[in-house]
Amino acid sequence: MASRRRMLLKVIILGDSGVGKTSLMNQYVNRKFSNQYKATIGADFLTKEVQIDDRLFTLQIWDTAGQERFQSLGVAFYRGADCCVLVYDVNVQKSFENLNNWREEFLIQASPSDPENFPFVVLGNKIDVDGGNSRVVSEKKAKAWCASKGNIPYFETSAKEGFNVEAAFECIAKNALKNEPEEDIYLPDTIDVGGGQQQRSTGCEC
Amino acid sequence: MISDGLEDEEKWLAAGVAGLQQNSFYMHRALDSNNLKDALKYSAQMLSELRTSRLSPQKYYELYMRAFDELRKLEMFFREENRRGCSVVELYELVQHAGNILPRSYLLCTVGSVYIKSKEAPAKDILKDLVEMCRGIQHPLRGLFLRSYLSQVSRDKLPDIGSEYEGDENTVMDAIEFVLQNFTEMNKLWVRMQHQGPTREKEKREKERSELRDLVGKNLHVLSQIEGVDLDIYRETVLPRVLEQVVNCKDELAQCYLMDCIIQVFPDEYHLQTLETLLGACPQLQGTVDIKTVLAGLMERLSNYAASSAEVLPQFFQVEAFAKLNNAIDKVIEAQDEMPVDAVVTLYSSLLKFTIHVHSDRLDYVDRILGACVKKLSGKGKLSDSKATKQIVALLSAPLEKYKDIDTVLKLSNYPHVMEYLDDVTNKEMANVIVQSIIKNKSCISTADKVESLFGLIKGLINNLDSKLLEELDEEDFQEEQNYVARLIQMLHNDNPEEMFKMICTIKNHILTGGTKRLPFTVPPLIFNSLQLVRQLQSQDENATEDEAPVTPKKIFQMLNQTIEALISVPVPELALWLYLQCAEAANDCDLEPVAYEFFTQAYILYEEEVTDSKAQVTAIHLIIGTLQRMHVFGIENRDTLTHKATGYSAKLLKKPDQCRAVYACSHLFWVDDHDIKDGERVMLCLKRALRIANAAQQMANAARGSSGSVILFIEILNKYLYFYEKGLSQITLASVQSLIELITNEMQNENSASDPAAEAFFASTLRYIQFQKNKGGAVGEKYEPIKV
Ligand SMILES: Nc1nc2c(ncn2[C@@H]2O[C@H](COP(=O)(O)OP(=O)(O)OP(=O)(O)O)[C@@H](O)[C@H]2O)c(=O)[nH]1
Ligand SMILES: [Mg+2]
Repeated sequence: MASRRRMLLKVIILGDSGVGKTSLMNQYVNRKFSNQYKATIGADFLTKEVQIDDRLFTLQIWDTAGQERFQSLGVAFYRGADCCVLVYDVNVQKSFENLNNWREEFLIQASPSDPENFPFVVLGNKIDVDGGNSRVVSEKKAKAWCASKGNIPYFETSAKEGFNVEAAFECIAKNALKNEPEEDIYLPDTIDVGGGQQQRSTGCEC
Repeated sequence: MISDGLEDEEKWLAAGVAGLQQNSFYMHRALDSNNLKDALKYSAQMLSELRTSRLSPQKYYELYMRAFDELRKLEMFFREENRRGCSVVELYELVQHAGNILPRSYLLCTVGSVYIKSKEAPAKDILKDLVEMCRGIQHPLRGLFLRSYLSQVSRDKLPDIGSEYEGDENTVMDAIEFVLQNFTEMNKLWVRMQHQGPTREKEKREKERSELRDLVGKNLHVLSQIEGVDLDIYRETVLPRVLEQVVNCKDELAQCYLMDCIIQVFPDEYHLQTLETLLGACPQLQGTVDIKTVLAGLMERLSNYAASSAEVLPQFFQVEAFAKLNNAIDKVIEAQDEMPVDAVVTLYSSLLKFTIHVHSDRLDYVDRILGACVKKLSGKGKLSDSKATKQIVALLSAPLEKYKDIDTVLKLSNYPHVMEYLDDVTNKEMANVIVQSIIKNKSCISTADKVESLFGLIKGLINNLDSKLLEELDEEDFQEEQNYVARLIQMLHNDNPEEMFKMICTIKNHILTGGTKRLPFTVPPLIFNSLQLVRQLQSQDENATEDEAPVTPKKIFQMLNQTIEALISVPVPELALWLYLQCAEAANDCDLEPVAYEFFTQAYILYEEEVTDSKAQVTAIHLIIGTLQRMHVFGIENRDTLTHKATGYSAKLLKKPDQCRAVYACSHLFWVDDHDIKDGERVMLCLKRALRIANAAQQMANAARGSSGSVILFIEILNKYLYFYEKGLSQITLASVQSLIELITNEMQNENSASDPAAEAFFASTLRYIQFQKNKGGAVGEKYEPIKV
């Protein structure tokens, strides 16, 4: 079986303030939604058990502050992420344009070993607003951007109505699972390589 | 020094990470072989790395995150142990044996989380135990991280409403109490941090404290997320307790930051319903706290809320939000006598934005705010402080953006007074913003009074005479800006001629003071507005008695004459000449012969005295000829004078080809079918003269360059011949046409002449035309038939 590390999938949600990161997480984890805006401070995670191909995993979903001034401690929590979710508001052009910054910032800070293939998922949120009439970023445009960044999976969601949220996170979890974890395998001097790995691969309790 | 410090820090971090990895390796081995005792031992050793005091908050956070990740695995193990029958109570006891307090506390929190999940004891008791236990760590940095760990692991285990841990003796109040207590303790640690260590490191410490702020603020985020914190609980418990901590800590950094947090993490409805409490805390904060930013943040948030939906507005009215905010701001400004101007303006500008969103119909509120601003600024002269200036621009732009209608803005009596305080450059920028807004929104400005106010407002663009400023200006920027003004002038309109005339006069008075650089941009649109009015009058009441009417074409033409005169001093004689001709044509359409003649005279004087450049002369003469040809108002005498002059000018152009072309163009002045002018003799005179000039031109070319010049002039003249031949001018004989064709043919075959493809093509197409007319048959065909080609 996978090590304990593999039972835990770490996901980071990024995007401008107000696009609905917290709302998406709350909808997915607690099936709750509030119209009130309450800014997120720092980084905060909730967990949810998910089943993928008959196996149980714990999804650790990190919600972050979109307002820069509430991110004073830096982004050390990016470390070890298995998937990064980029959220924008389909009714706010700027939030879409900023996706690039968020993505690049993540790649720089988290520095995954294979940045080309690191799994991202893009969510265009708030599609319910005004029956879609106030939307300014078309699905086509969003998909084109995703395609240009190595075919990032794209979902249109409404945290308010719960639309597509489940499906999006299912995809997120699957992509997180696909990500090869970067265990910085630590081998103390006193232990020989073979023995160390032996130990690791046999320690199964399930 | 500093870079050394950073390098050292990297080393320490690396050492910490190495230690952590080593111990976590053994911890994993122990976990894999279900050796609880070793697992605890190594995890405690691993956590000992967090005892370091050498790292800055951000580096410490990196180390902490690694430990955090490892602890998740330990937690899973504990949970499995628990599932396998190991008592969580025993585990809880067991970890207490860890030697050092910091690792022990982390382990306790970790087991505690499993403990709560197991529901073997009430959540609230465990939480209380843990939050008390954390008191053992009084080192600020370590304490803050430990407590934020506690906050994180308990995050989904709070007994809030709907949670699985709620019920029996566990209530949402316990959840709130737990978070509030953790918050209070963390804030105390954070505030105390500034007093530790030598004073010379104060700056560094403040920076570090600032980095740590989110650990404290996050508790407020957690509070806001607790299910069941309704308005009552917020008003009665949460807000007072948080504010108490904020006020009592007497720390500038903490107060600034936490006020901002409160505003951002709690919902708008709550703020509205507790405005008094929140605002009431402001005067109790330290004098150094930047209250303007706090209040501005609050008002911005509420403005956005008001803008989000009209449905929420009644809440604002119900609690009299405007009055409360206005009051609070007045008090703050009053209390802080030394408040810098930019802060004052920032406050007013946020209040103004708030007001136009919430009370969009209350212009009096808006004007009152602007008035208060003027009062605060008065006596200070023009502002030189760029921050304050920026804020004033924001203050003045807000109503434009909101109302999208200059009319409304012109009603604000204090608006122009505020503008007075802007320096010249910014004043002009603001004027630009106003003009652009009018153009963009196609605002209608339709009375002379409004024009007067508007031009007063944008005088920075119209008649600022500071020549130094003008000189420094980028030429392109200047043109762009003046083109906008021109567009604005064109937009000013009223269907009522009398009012429109008044508006035109008002515009004129303003733009004539604009100086020579602006006039070329601003005069033409004014002239066209006026000529449009002339046409309107003329079409409306052809038979109105002229002298009684308040506006007549005559009056307008008088005004125009003066206006164009202004351009002469610029000097832009070509432009003035063109405008005179435009006026002459309009006068022609109104059957005002003397007026038209006067305009022509002006144009001729300009031509003779001011238009000196030969290229400009060519353009001007063709304009004159073209216009004159369309004039029908002139009697024979006037007409004679004007055409005579025009032919005279033509023959005096510098270059022969120019002369030739202007002279043959003059032929049209004597043959205008529509106006029954048919003077074949003089047509012929023009054409013959043109031929002579063409000849001379060719000879000159021969002499100068050794090759004969182009025949193109002859072909052009041939075309004129054909034109009048077709019209039936008796003076143009078949023989004269024929000989012209031969002349051209010979010239083209002449070996001396340079080949000229354009001329060849032109001639070929002329011949094709003749052939075409021949084939037509009928009267025309007959005329052309004898021509041999
Ligand atoms: N209509 C609609 N509103 C939404 C949706 N998702 C979120 N919202 C609203 O948008 C606002 C912001 O949502 P949050 O989830 O707090 O946004 P955030 O991205 O977490 O913002 P930060 O924490 O500041 O980074 C809230 O008022 C939500 O109620 C949605 O799908 N539809
Ligand atoms: Mg959020």
